[in-house]
Amino acid sequence: MTQFITTVLTSLSSGAIYALMALALVLVWRSTRVINFAQAGQAVLTTYIGYTVIQRTGSYWLALVVAVISGAIIGAVIDRFFMRPIFKRIKSGPIVMIAPVVATLGLLGIIQAIIGFIWGLTNQSIEAPVSTGGYKVMGTVIAFSSYNLLVLVFVAIAMLLLTILFQRTNIGLALRASAYSPEIARLSGIKVDAVRTLGWAIAGASGGLAGMLYIPGYFLYPNAMDLLLVFGFVAAVIGGLESLFGAVAGAMLLGFAINFSTTYISPKLFFPTAFIVLVLVLLIKPSGLFAAKKSRGA
Amino acid sequence: MSKQISTKKRTLLFVAFGWMLLILGDRVGDLELYQGSFVATYALAITSIILLTGYSGQLSLGQSALMAVGAYAGALTIFNAGLHPIIGLLMAALVAGIFGLILGLIAARLTGPYLAGTTLALAISLPTLANQFPILGAEEGIVFDVGLPPARFGEDFSQYKWFFWISCLASLIMVWFIANLLSTKYGRIFRALRDNPIAAELSGINVGRLKVTAFAISSGVAGLSGGLLVMLISGVSPSAFPLSLSFALLGGAVVTGLYNLKGVILGGLVLVAIPEIADSLVSRIGGSEGFITILPGFLVSALLILAVVFTPNGPGHLIKRHHKK
Amino acid sequence: MIRNKNMKRASLVSAVIATGAMVLSTLPAQAATPGVTASEIKLGISSPLTGSAGLSYGKVPGAMKAYFNYINANGGVYGRKITLISRDDKYLPTLAATQTTNLVLKDNVFALVGALGTATHSKAYKAAALAKNNVPDLFINTGYSGFTDKTKYPTTFMVLPTYAMEAKVIAKAIKDNFPGQATFLVAQDDEFGSDGVAGFTTAGHKFSAAPILYPQGSMTAARAESALTALGATPGKPVVVLFGTTDVTATILKAAEKLALTTKFTWYAGSVGADANTLLALGVKPATIDGVISASFMPDAKDMTDPYVKQFADINAKYNKGVTFDNYVLAAMNSAMLTVQALRAAGKNLTRAGVISAIENKGAKFASAGLVPLGYSPTSRIGYNGYWVSQLNAKGEGKPYGGKLVIYSTDSGAGAVEVSNFVRPTMPKNGIPTNS
Repeated sequence: MTQFITTVLTSLSSGAIYALMALALVLVWRSTRVINFAQAGQAVLTTYIGYTVIQRTGSYWLALVVAVISGAIIGAVIDRFFMRPIFKRIKSGPIVMIAPVVATLGLLGIIQAIIGFIWGLTNQSIEAPVSTGGYKVMGTVIAFSSYNLLVLVFVAIAMLLLTILFQRTNIGLALRASAYSPEIARLSGIKVDAVRTLGWAIAGASGGLAGMLYIPGYFLYPNAMDLLLVFGFVAAVIGGLESLFGAVAGAMLLGFAINFSTTYISPKLFFPTAFIVLVLVLLIKPSGLFAAKKSRGA
Repeated sequence: MSKQISTKKRTLLFVAFGWMLLILGDRVGDLELYQGSFVATYALAITSIILLTGYSGQLSLGQSALMAVGAYAGALTIFNAGLHPIIGLLMAALVAGIFGLILGLIAARLTGPYLAGTTLALAISLPTLANQFPILGAEEGIVFDVGLPPARFGEDFSQYKWFFWISCLASLIMVWFIANLLSTKYGRIFRALRDNPIAAELSGINVGRLKVTAFAISSGVAGLSGGLLVMLISGVSPSAFPLSLSFALLGGAVVTGLYNLKGVILGGLVLVAIPEIADSLVSRIGGSEGFITILPGFLVSALLILAVVFTPNGPGHLIKRHHKK
Repeated sequence: MIRNKNMKRASLVSAVIATGAMVLSTLPAQAATPGVTASEIKLGISSPLTGSAGLSYGKVPGAMKAYFNYINANGGVYGRKITLISRDDKYLPTLAATQTTNLVLKDNVFALVGALGTATHSKAYKAAALAKNNVPDLFINTGYSGFTDKTKYPTTFMVLPTYAMEAKVIAKAIKDNFPGQATFLVAQDDEFGSDGVAGFTTAGHKFSAAPILYPQGSMTAARAESALTALGATPGKPVVVLFGTTDVTATILKAAEKLALTTKFTWYAGSVGADANTLLALGVKPATIDGVISASFMPDAKDMTDPYVKQFADINAKYNKGVTFDNYVLAAMNSAMLTVQALRAAGKNLTRAGVISAIENKGAKFASAGLVPLGYSPTSRIGYNGYWVSQLNAKGEGKPYGGKLVIYSTDSGAGAVEVSNFVRPTMPKNGIPTNS
């Protein structure tokens, strides 16, 4: 029984972490139709910035705010100076899908190199703002701490706030319109380019949050979020890429699947489970779990 | 749009090129032969991407996994079954092709990022499977031995030259085959599929079947290149096909033009030469230990971004524009 | 039509030009013995400098260079300066193969030192035709016992004890000190793990449950917590053996902190994953590290009373500025010192075959910081062949377990684990070898 409860709890924690990345990726996708592989680098970079803030001031919360803000700035800069020129030159065909992937991969490499130049290549760690010790329930210590709770709460809040932004505000409408039909959006007076940059800024901010929440439970080094990027992406695809709730749901499903399969069947199933779950979901629903309508195409 | 080169002309071109490589091979040293072998291998891998993505419009982030399948199939054939290396290479292509067929059946229903995500998940899972089955040799892997050059070539015929001959020959034949395929009506159908799947479907093309076919063939090509790659490193192991390989190949394909085969050699060259150039540039500049460690990676990434920003459709477009003026 | 021809032409032309550039840039100056001139000896190392493996091992080339520079400032090897050329292979077999080939064919190194990794080096060895060219492959940075096979790797000399040896020593230590307790193994699912598992089996040790073999990169906090919860149900004070890299040890220890299970187990961290500095940097609490048992064959890098450690630390401060002196730096400089002695022992007329036979015949007597014997002989390529059992304290210092230093010596096979009377050779004055 303890094993079961533990696995449920660790699944929740894993799912929350995958959700952090999945949210950022879905944000970029929904507002700009780009799979942003540089997200892993952006999030780590902002976390290094946060780390420096902690070194200077000792305050995690201040660092968190700085990380989120710098995430937004970096995201906006990337869109304005990298993605916009690229999109100007490609119009149609598979290249529309691929050029951003390759460009963001290149960007990832550059960001990781910059981190290395400034902060060096050694491991660092960030202390969590709240206790990482498991709660004591009926005499036993369970695999759930205040820190895990904090991450879950933040994920829920982020998801809610962002959903409200996208569904209930004019800005959200502008973001969605610019992504799906840039021409029509332009015709109705929306400054598509500026709106897209805003989308990247929001995604960048979300990545900043993700990094500062993830790293205290792990370690800080330039490649720290590479693997998380992959799982976050898979989770986002499972959830359907269209809804933020889907991203979180997909992440939870993935977290549960991986933790249960590795605990009860074999530790070696860690990576294959991601693939199996993804294929199973897509076989049933080719556009993911929560994509409301038929896939709008690439 | 179409290069209406006849099959005969193309064959002559390829044979001429092959001859040129043969002569070149006699003039250069072992190091260049070794690097050249990698160029040929990567060019072949990029061909598989161009076929799959450039022609049939399916974005795959998992070519490294298919290369791995081919590599293991080839290694098992040679090492465990004791068959001739040529059969090993053939099996590499065949097994990977069959695997791609099955994968294609799943993939045909998926578009854009969904396919990308699936192939990504495949790329990270497949290598770990190799650790599951002892017959696959775990971390030390299985030896992939194409044997020594035949004695009749003489003492001076090095192993590297042998690699060069095999990889160039295999790549040339395969690329010739694909080029021929794409110049027939299949090429046109693929392009129709890529540019406008709805219209293609309406004009009677069986989109699903075509996509699966493209996947299967592309996987076979990738499998062969995987076999060649492990020939060059004399053995296969899970870590030989990391996710970063898929990304590098994709980058190479984009930089040299995703839409036709003409740039594949350039793509292979880029993948081999750019890291080398970055390395030697950095050692010439010097600097602190940390600096010279990070700089090559930085340069390679920067170059990649520049290439995508300025020539996302490949250098062919630059030349086209030039000619118009 | 015209456009296409141009494109094809451009492609061919650039192919030829690039190939030409490669040819011209690599015309080698062939000396009689490659890599050796009257004034210089060129050595090469292919190892991970970037990527996740680079985190632990990125310091190795720099540390070796620092020691070589120190020797160069003190006369070099019979007047020849040692140059170490370092290439990054990111722990990937394809890169290791090409970089090692580059070192041999392009950089024309005399010998390789400190090659790293099983999958990487086994491929690199064949790809660069090291056997055919008789390129000495000195003091490789891996403990995989397969490299002692002289038929497969005729020019290779190990330095690290094999993982199988470590497993056997650990098995004995457990049997002697914790009889009757349950034992568990958590190991990385690659050569560390399988070699270790084989070692435990040979030693006749049976774990209380099947070893937990995790694929590299998959030991997340969640996995660690799951695993420890299961183990935590075992009565008594089980011994948990961790055979993985330091980041994994850190993850597991931090999971134990979370579950308040740190004192439930006796922790045994394999030497690859027991660097105390790194563990602390990764956020493990000092109280958790206190008491962790490990095995080592070197003195602890914090032990400044050891003459070798002090000397290397001094060299590091002067010649490797900005890099913290730790166990990785210590091991790297130690290998560099062995390398210098090997070069000296080969005589002024330095040849590849000469170096190989020098190590075979004189290597066992080389001075080094290692507290266990070196096993080089005309029939054996094994370096250090033993371990002493250490215990970490809250300051991250590794002191002999039980208070007294006991050195164990064994082989990778069915040989017994025996107490060794080995006494380490005195360090040459100022750490500058004068052997011949």
